[in-house]
Parts: sequence; C-alpha cells; structure tokens
Amino acid sequence: MRNKQALLAVLIVFTVAIFSCTKEPLNNLTQEETRIYVTNSDTTVNFGAYKTYSIADSVSVLNDNQSYKDLTPVDQAYINAVNTYMQQRGYVLTDKNSNPDIGIDVNRIYSTSTGYYSYDDYWDEYGGYWDPYYWGYSGYGYYVPASYGIYQVTEGAVSIDMLDLKNANSKGKIDIVWNGLIRGEGIFDAATADSSVKALFDQSTYLHSN
Amino acid sequence: MKAIKIFAFTMCVLFVSHVNAQKGEVKLNIEYSYALPTGSFKNDVISNGSPRGAIGDLLYNINNKFSVGLGLGFQDFYQKYPRALYNTGDKEVTSAVLSNSVQIIPLLAKAEFYPLGDKKGMIQPYITAGAGLGIATFTQYLGEFGSSDNSGSFMFQGGAGVEIPFSKFSHAGVRLGANYNMINYNRSGFSNFNNVNFHAGLFFPLK
Repeated sequence: MRNKQALLAVLIVFTVAIFSCTKEPLNNLTQEETRIYVTNSDTTVNFGAYKTYSIADSVSVLNDNQSYKDLTPVDQAYINAVNTYMQQRGYVLTDKNSNPDIGIDVNRIYSTSTGYYSYDDYWDEYGGYWDPYYWGYSGYGYYVPASYGIYQVTEGAVSIDMLDLKNANSKGKIDIVWNGLIRGEGIFDAATADSSVKALFDQSTYLHSN
Repeated sequence: MKAIKIFAFTMCVLFVSHVNAQKGEVKLNIEYSYALPTGSFKNDVISNGSPRGAIGDLLYNINNKFSVGLGLGFQDFYQKYPRALYNTGDKEVTSAVLSNSVQIIPLLAKAEFYPLGDKKGMIQPYITAGAGLGIATFTQYLGEFGSSDNSGSFMFQGGAGVEIPFSKFSHAGVRLGANYNMINYNRSGFSNFNNVNFHAGLFFPLK
C-alpha cells in the first residue's frame, strides 16, 4: 500500500515536472521580435525606370469584409514613413494628377469575425477598396502578377501596395508591382511605423529610381 | 507548494529504500535529463542544449543481471534565432525572428544489463537499450506566427551508466548515465531529432 502511495507521489511529481518545464516560445519574444515584414515584388520590373510617385492621402481600412477610408495619426505616420524612404531611394513625390509613375496606397486590415482573413479575398475585392478612378484610370482593372499573402491574418496587418501607373495605358491594366506587409504586436502604433516601413525597404534593395 | 512536493517525494523515496528487494523486484528510476542535439537536428533545427527533461523507467528484474520494462520521458528543446531574411515564397521575402521548439516524449520497451550481477559493490555499472515510439511536436515560429506538427515515429535508445546504492544493503540509490537517442522525423526537409542526454536521479524498488 505504501509502495503504491510512493509510486503515485513519484508519478505526480514527474507529471508536474514535465508540464512545468516547457519553454513557451511566445513568452520569450519582445514586441519587436513578434513582428514580421513580408515583401512581394514583380521580379520582371525594373524599378529604376520609375521616377515619380504619388501616395494616397488616406488609408483603406478593411474590417470584417467592410472597407472605408480613414486617416488617424497612425495612418499618417505610415504615409510619412513611406514618403521618407521612397524619397531616400530617389523617387520624387508628385501630385496624383501629374501622371506619377507609381501610385502607393496604404491599408489597415483587421479580422475579428472568424480569426482569419483570406488574402485571396483581399485581392479579389481590391478594385472595391481602390477604384482605379482614384488614379485617373477609370474602367481599368488591377492585375496581381505575384502570389501574395501566404499568411492568414488573425488580428491585423498593415499592407502597402505599389502600383505601376506608368505603364497602365499601354498594358490596359494597373499592375501591382510591389507589396509590403507588416504583422505582429504594436503595428498600430505611430511610434513603430517608421521602423516597420524601413524594414520593408531595407529588404527591398532593388527599390531605387536609378 | 513546490518545496512541499519535493519533501513529499523525498520522504517516499527514503521509505521505499528500506524495503528489502525480492527476486522479481520491480524498480522505478526517476531522473533529471540534460540533452544535446546532434547531427542534422543540431545543424538545421536547434543547436542549444536542453536543460528541461526528465526520465522515468519502470523495470522488472528478471535476474541479477537483466531487467526489462517500460521507459517514459520528456525533453523540451528551444532556440530563438536573430532576425533574418527568409524566402517564404516564389517572390516573397520575410524578415523574422525564427523560433524552433521541439518536445519529445519517448515511449520505449527497455532492457538493462548489469555486468557485475550479484557481486556486492557500491557502484553497479549498467548498459541499456530501448526501442519504441518517439512522439515529437515541432513548432516553428516566424515572429509570433507559428505552425506546429505532431509526429510519432520509431525511436531507438542506447546508453550506459552507474547505480550507486544508498548503503550496502539498500536497493535504492543514485543513478547516473548517458543515452543516445535516435528519432526519425522525415518531414519538411528535416531528417531526425537525434540527441544525447545526460541523466541523474534516483532508483528504488516498488515491491
């Protein structure tokens, strides 16, 4: 009887030891380390052929399959950061009515209904968020050459898209030639916008105007 | 609470250590384990040693030289790599801190051989071998985004060590040794979770 009690005590201690000594990876990440920066690009494009760009003055918020335009201090911080790093790479900011070579839009993506967001849906409905009319190409459609978004969104993401307006007329469509995606903790904080956008540009060394 | 558990455990061990062993004795080994990845496990997944492991063996003494029984255990491996760029798609590049986490639970049929047999000595060397199922959970995180894979595959274990009884007539004591663990894992370009573990703990008879 006592031996059975001893065995039971040992097994309890052993079981507690097993389940208490596992190292939880997510508890060992700083907020910065939780973030991932994902870039997709059309590798056939020569980004040096573009000289000017324009950036939308508000962001598109995609929330549970609904979208609207917004401009919070966080949104403005992302727009400012994109301007900073585009100009560092030699691109010249111009008005959208002055025939920019590149159009840039920034998007906030949330999903609260299912815990997942399908990027296929995101691209399928892209024309609904950013009507080509905005860029002066009414009636055109968007064409996505790269395979985008292997991750499913559970909380939120910031997406930055680079559109080829220079060749829109000759191609009859607006190619999305570059996309940056930011995910992780603290991304909807103005203080993290600059470093996050910088990370996207740092891993896209081909983005320069000459 | 933790101290109470350790005290209770120690009292149990001391009690059973005074039980005179019989032929056909059933013995329990409880040990702490520190493991080092080897080969491709070390090179491709985790190179850090794991201080988070435990071993529990329940063995039946066939005679003075051989024991057979069951082996159970647990080992948790973890490593975080600095931020780097990874090609995650045809045209996709991801900057992320990569974390690899592997938990292994062996369920083994084991046999132990004591070459000195019934020769009375304070130190009894042994060699051990086991084969069975290695249950592995492999989770890989890019930043905070992870994917997990569970597998159960063939596992082989070989090892050696010594047992040091508490006294000349005690059938309980301290146990030290090392095992080499071979665990197949043929998925996602990986081949195994082989490792060497060093263990220390207690052995004592149950009846």
